[in-house]
Amino acid sequence: MAEFLEIVRHLPLLSGILFLTLLGLLLIILIPEERPQAIKVVSAAVSGGILVICLLLYMGYDQGRGGLQFIERSIWVKSLGIYYFNAVDGINLPMLLLTGTVLFTGVLTMWQLEKRVKEYFAFTFLLVFGVFGVFMAFDLFFLFVYYDIALFPMYPLIAIWGSTRKEYGAMKLTLYLLAGSALILPGIVLLFIKSGLWTFDMIALSQAHFTPVVQSIGFLLFLFGFGVLAGLWPFHTWSPVGHVAAPTAVSMIHAGVLMKLGAYGVLRVGAFLCPEGWAQWAELMAVLATIGVVYGAFVGLAQTDLKYVIGYSSVSHMGLVTLGLSTVTVDGVNGAVFQMFAHGIMTALLFSSVGYIYDKTHTKMIPELGGMSRNMPYISGFFILAALAGVGVPCLASFWAELLVFIAAVQTYPIRGILAICGLLVSALFMLRVVAKTFYGPANPKFAGLPDINLWLASPRIILAGCIVLFGLFPWMMLNLIQVSTVPLIGRVVGY
Amino acid sequence: MLSQVRLFLPELYFLFMALVLFAVSVRHGAPQPRRTYYTAFVLSGIGLLVTLGSLFVEGELFFQAYKVDLFSQIFKVFLSLGMFLVVTICSRLESVEDRHHPEFYLFLTTCTIGMMLLVSAVELITLYVALELSSYSLYILVPMRRGGGGELSSEAGVKYFFMGALASAVMLFGMSYLYGVCHTTHLAEIFKTLPEAVFTPGAIIGLVLTLSGLFFKLAVVPFQSWAPDVYEGASNQLVAYIASASKVAAMAILIRLTALSGAGSAYFINLLIILSLIGMTFGNLVAIKQRDFKRMLAYSSIAHAGYVLLGIMTMSDAGYTSVIYYGLVYLVLNFACFLVIVLVSEKGNNVSIDQFAGLYKRAPLLAVTLLLGVFGLAGLPPTGGFTGKFLIFIAIIQKGYLWLAIVAMINVTISLYYYIGVVKAAYLSPPAPDSVAIPVSTSMRFLNYLVIAMIIWLGVYPELVYDLASIAAKAVL
Repeated sequence: MAEFLEIVRHLPLLSGILFLTLLGLLLIILIPEERPQAIKVVSAAVSGGILVICLLLYMGYDQGRGGLQFIERSIWVKSLGIYYFNAVDGINLPMLLLTGTVLFTGVLTMWQLEKRVKEYFAFTFLLVFGVFGVFMAFDLFFLFVYYDIALFPMYPLIAIWGSTRKEYGAMKLTLYLLAGSALILPGIVLLFIKSGLWTFDMIALSQAHFTPVVQSIGFLLFLFGFGVLAGLWPFHTWSPVGHVAAPTAVSMIHAGVLMKLGAYGVLRVGAFLCPEGWAQWAELMAVLATIGVVYGAFVGLAQTDLKYVIGYSSVSHMGLVTLGLSTVTVDGVNGAVFQMFAHGIMTALLFSSVGYIYDKTHTKMIPELGGMSRNMPYISGFFILAALAGVGVPCLASFWAELLVFIAAVQTYPIRGILAICGLLVSALFMLRVVAKTFYGPANPKFAGLPDINLWLASPRIILAGCIVLFGLFPWMMLNLIQVSTVPLIGRVVGY
Repeated sequence: MLSQVRLFLPELYFLFMALVLFAVSVRHGAPQPRRTYYTAFVLSGIGLLVTLGSLFVEGELFFQAYKVDLFSQIFKVFLSLGMFLVVTICSRLESVEDRHHPEFYLFLTTCTIGMMLLVSAVELITLYVALELSSYSLYILVPMRRGGGGELSSEAGVKYFFMGALASAVMLFGMSYLYGVCHTTHLAEIFKTLPEAVFTPGAIIGLVLTLSGLFFKLAVVPFQSWAPDVYEGASNQLVAYIASASKVAAMAILIRLTALSGAGSAYFINLLIILSLIGMTFGNLVAIKQRDFKRMLAYSSIAHAGYVLLGIMTMSDAGYTSVIYYGLVYLVLNFACFLVIVLVSEKGNNVSIDQFAGLYKRAPLLAVTLLLGVFGLAGLPPTGGFTGKFLIFIAIIQKGYLWLAIVAMINVTISLYYYIGVVKAAYLSPPAPDSVAIPVSTSMRFLNYLVIAMIIWLGVYPELVYDLASIAAKAVL
């Protein structure tokens, strides 16, 4: 085993992921439209391959050594100091694993898609190409290119295959997110110029000594630029609308992975390159995050559409991620990164379950459903499990993440921390209310004869549910890994 | 002697091409559009090779009135590339009468010669004559259209002519001031005296009025009003040329002239910033309402002139490099859009955005070209449009204008709204019930691949062009 891992460590696995994604995209483009089944098989095979590589990365990462591993670095444009620089550490490895899982399960979830199959999978692969790129790039130029590649396929994905006010939702989402990236680009160029190093290599830039003013402006630009995508209050309004409009698997990828891009960007670009700015604006972040947590919970309480409920719970849960980051402590950041992972899996499962229910009943309105656990016990089970994870029931993955964030938050910002806990209680309340109304109580006779999910269609949900339980029971499997990288990160701030 | 011919080879070649086309145009007998097309196609193709071949020659001609350096040669390559690309899409030149085809190519060629002279001219009178040569060719070409939209073409022609003549007059007036201040018409001499005199009102008036003639070409506010009408009224192929090659030539000479003021006075820089901000915002806001695709591109070109001015106002070699890079990118992106317009349009008519409905089904390849073209204009990666803007931002932030970069990016976001509208029509709207698949011949297919490859190449691998541009930019200073 050790020898095998040693070989794995010398393979260009990160480029392999990007290459496989592009290969999948190319194959899908080449397969004629009339053979949707072939397209689905290829998509599943490629995404399965990507997931395997992600698992290899996880196993191959040497936690004892820490730092950057699987480094692939070569000069790209010499005169501009652009590098093709991919690597993993304890922060982006969980994200890659998350993306691989959600992509694979997302492809399986859309197995019954019939409308414009070819384009759907082509856009999906283009999107995840960008997502993988952002999570592995250590060069600011590439990071931004990947970031925008990840954003614009969302427009067709929602506007073509979506439901409820899809064109409005798609346009709102695209403009919000690209307006966010409009702040990121000047921020990147600012650091590039002010470092005086004429390089986009993030490791080199992290050693440059930026003045406090530059760090302050830079961090603010990144906080709001990436924060839009992370659902940071008050720039979150695209998120529930977009979630509701998007088709099932796009919601999964969107809420499960894409929103993490935002939080990851704040952490990797903002906090890593402008540590002083991070410390300076932490208070503001904490305020916005707390408002997000509480606001998301209360607005979610009033919703009757299942997808809106999940959408607002996402705002609330992503607020926890920002709150964790705002503490500028090892525990807080550990919790935040773990929460990104856990929330990604959990939301994917929620959307995936709702997607199945919607496919069968053609409604996602809570009052019209009811007693679903009698009609469709298995799919209800998946939803309830994910909802419990979101509420923070012990032994499920989110519990540990939320616990860490709250411990850190209460220590750093007592009042805001307690407020956030209250917010989470409200969110627990509304989740349980939704579960009670949708899955228990009198069953709607209209849906009595509908088939429950079969094993094949359930397989993606089983994988996701398995992850929730696995990392709930053995949180150290993820936390030890994350810790490897958060400790040096916090050390940078304290060092100043 | 021979070495001097070599310096002047591209211009001589295009002069030869013009003569051949002139001979074709006076030939008796029934018009033969196919043969004329192939003649022009082959000749302009060779023209591109000739200009590429003389990329690295350097020297001065005509008593230092004419300077051949990497800066001018790189723009000549862009111009002949633009000319070649535009000629390739003239295979179905239905909006111009068959018997006028040779003249159409002839005046395209003379216009290209004019612009080639323009980018090399380093003396005010030469510069003016070159500018007029290219302008007069366009004045003739614009009203040449007949049929669909033809009634608009005379209006556009007259408007373009009067606006152009006015701009020329203003420019000449400005040059007289420059002469008055510096006592010379040679740019090299002006360059020595102007930076000291740039704070005097005479110098500023002279410079600004001289630039106005070029602002007209580039459609910078407040000289933009011809653009929408000419774009709408002239034939699609010609607008492709105006939108790409002609704009690029204007960028080149704008760089040459602004470089005159040395580091530049704050007054002058502020003026450029204000013009650029007004241009961007005006262009992007008005473009939102347009339904005709060419009109929309006209307003987007007004906005793009704003971005270009931002790069120029930095007056640094990073800024000039970015504008040179942007020039090529802009040429290719606009050509991509017009390639789709020409192929989609029926009988050479104008194309409204709604006519793109269901393009993904009717011609998937064109839909991809259109997608990359408009997203490139919007400045999204991985297209060349992004890299061009990126370089401009590097230049302006280097000069300490972070806020300008943010304002420009906000403008980019506004522009996305209407660019996405085009993509929406092409990819989301179902095809109209009576629509048929658009035939795309093998050669056009190849041209599409070429354009797509260029857009991506300029987007992700800027090294080659960037290095050339940065050497050229240093040459101009």
